[in-house]
Amino acid sequence: MHPSVAPAPPSPAAAAPPVVEVVDLHRRYGDFAAVRGVSFDVRPGEVFALLGVNGAGKTSALEVLEGLAPASGGTVRVLGADPRRERAAVRPHLGVLLQTSGLPGDLTVAETVRTWAGTLTTPRPVDEALAQVDLTGRADVRVRSLSGGERRRLDLALALLGRPRVLVLDEPTTGLDPESRRTVWGLVRGLVDDGAAVVLTTHHLEEAEELADRIAVMRAGRIVLAGTREEIAETQPATIRFTLAPGDPQPPVPSGVEVVGAGPRVEWHTRALQPALAQLLAWAAAYGVVLRGLQARAASLEQAFLAVADTDTDTE
Amino acid sequence: MTTIAVPVAPSRLRRVGSLAAAETRLLLRNRTAVVNSVLMPLLLVALVPGMGLDDRATGPGLLTAAAGFTLVFLTYYNLVTTYVARREDLVLQRMRTGELSDGEVLAATAVPTLLVTVGQLVLVAVGVAVLGLWTAPVDAVLPVLGVLLGAALMVVLATASTVFTRTPESAQITTLPVVLGATALSGLFFPLSALPGDLATVARLLPLTPVIELVQLGLAGRTWDGAAVAGAELWGAALVPLGVTLAWTALGAAATVRWFRWAPRR
Repeated sequence: MHPSVAPAPPSPAAAAPPVVEVVDLHRRYGDFAAVRGVSFDVRPGEVFALLGVNGAGKTSALEVLEGLAPASGGTVRVLGADPRRERAAVRPHLGVLLQTSGLPGDLTVAETVRTWAGTLTTPRPVDEALAQVDLTGRADVRVRSLSGGERRRLDLALALLGRPRVLVLDEPTTGLDPESRRTVWGLVRGLVDDGAAVVLTTHHLEEAEELADRIAVMRAGRIVLAGTREEIAETQPATIRFTLAPGDPQPPVPSGVEVVGAGPRVEWHTRALQPALAQLLAWAAAYGVVLRGLQARAASLEQAFLAVADTDTDTE
Repeated sequence: MTTIAVPVAPSRLRRVGSLAAAETRLLLRNRTAVVNSVLMPLLLVALVPGMGLDDRATGPGLLTAAAGFTLVFLTYYNLVTTYVARREDLVLQRMRTGELSDGEVLAATAVPTLLVTVGQLVLVAVGVAVLGLWTAPVDAVLPVLGVLLGAALMVVLATASTVFTRTPESAQITTLPVVLGATALSGLFFPLSALPGDLATVARLLPLTPVIELVQLGLAGRTWDGAAVAGAELWGAALVPLGVTLAWTALGAAATVRWFRWAPRR
C-alpha cells in the first residue's frame, strides 16, 4: 500500500471560489492510462505544484487543463468553463508555458513578442514584457541565437503577455541557471500577489517548497500525497540522532519511537518528536550522559517525496 | 461559480493578420524561397511557348497550366512541408496555446504561400500579355473562382497530408499521389477526351481536374472534352467541377478535423 492523504483543506488565505477545478481526471493513450483519477482545485492567489518523477502523468494532466487534449474521463473546469470545448472563453485568461515548445528561429525576440501580442485581447506592452524576463537587451536578436535559458524566458514572457488570471507552467525553470530561476520565481510570486492562480509542475523540490501553497505528488497517474508543504512532510516521521560514548547506558526508548540501526550511533524515527526529545533530554540530564552530535529534525518535503514518488509503480 | 468577463477581443482578421505578417516576414528572410518564387513563373512563361505544344502556347492554355502547376507544386507541396516542419519544431503546439483558434493558426501559416501563389499567377498573366498572347476570358468569374476554390482545396489537402507525413523530407514521397497522380490525369498534360470514357470520368473525379476544368471553362470557354460553350451553358458545364471541388474540400477538411496532429508523435 502506498500512503495516501485526503485532499488538503483550502488554504486560509483563499476564500474565493476555485478558478481551476479538476475532478477525477483520467487520460488514456490507447491501452496506457497516463492519468488515473486526479482531483484538485486552485483558488485565485494560490500556487499549486504537481510533483512527480518523469512519466508520473503531470504533463498529460496539464494538457487537459490547457485545453490541448480531451479528458478520457472526469471533468476539468477553468474559470468555470471547459478549457477545450469553451476554449475561446477561457483562453483570454489563460497563460500556458509548455514543457517544450518551439518558436520560429528567424524572428527577433521583439518581433516574436509583438506577433503574439497581436493575437491577444489584453496584451502587456512589448517593452514591459521584455523587461519582465530581462530580455530588453536582446530585443533585436533572432530567436535562433538565444541561449536555452533566454528562450525559456522568452517563452515565459509570451505566457504572461495576456495578463492571465490562470497560469499553467509545465516545468518552468528546467534548464535555467540559478539566477534566471530566481527571476522566474519572483515573476510568479508577483502574479500570484495580483490574484492569479498558478498550476505548475516541477521535479525540483526546492521550487515547490519556494513557490507552492499546496503540493500534490503524482505517481503512475495518481495523486499519492497532497497538502501543504508541512502536511506532506508530516506524513514521514521525524528523526532524532545522537552518538553515545563507550560505556554510556542505553536510554529507554520512548513509546512510538522506532529505533534504526544499532551501536553507539543512535537513530530514532518518531511521529511525536517533541515528547520523545523531552524524555531523551530528561534521561540524559538525570544520568549525566552527553549526547554527542544531537540532532532532532522534522521530516523534509524531500523525504516525503522520495518515500512515495519513486517506489515501484503499481501494475493495474 | 466564477464568470468570465468578456473584454473586446481583437478581430479575427487582426489576430490572423498578426501571425500571417510574421510568417510572411519569415518567408522574405528565406532568400532561396524568394528567388524560387519569382523564377518559377518566369521559367514557365519562357519555356512553355517554346515547347510547341498545340494549344498550350496560347494565352488561356498557359494560364491554365500555370494555375494547375502552381496550385500543386507550390501551394500544396509547400504547405505540406511547412505544416510538418512547424509541427515537428513544436511551433504549431505553441501557437495553439494562445487565443487563436485552430483554424486561425492553420490559415495564418498558409498566408505567405497563398500570397506567392497569387503573385506567381499575376506574373504569368503579365508574361502572357508581354508575349502578346492575352485574350479576354469568356467568363471572368469562373477562373478566379476556380483558383480560389483550388487554393482552399490545396490548403485542406495539405493539412490532411500532414497526417501521414512524419518529416518535411518525407513529404517528397507522401505528396506523390497528388503531385503525380492527380496532376497526370488533370488534363494539364493531355486532354481528357483522349481517355476512354470510364477512365475520363474517374479522372474528372480527382482533386485537381475540376480546378483545371473551371479555369479552362472561364478562360477559353471550352469544356473538358473540348466542346466550346458560352453563357448559361458555360455555368451549366461548371456545376460538376464545382461540386467535385467542394466535395474534395469537405473531405480534406473533415480528415483534418479528425486526424490532424499538432505535436510530433512521442
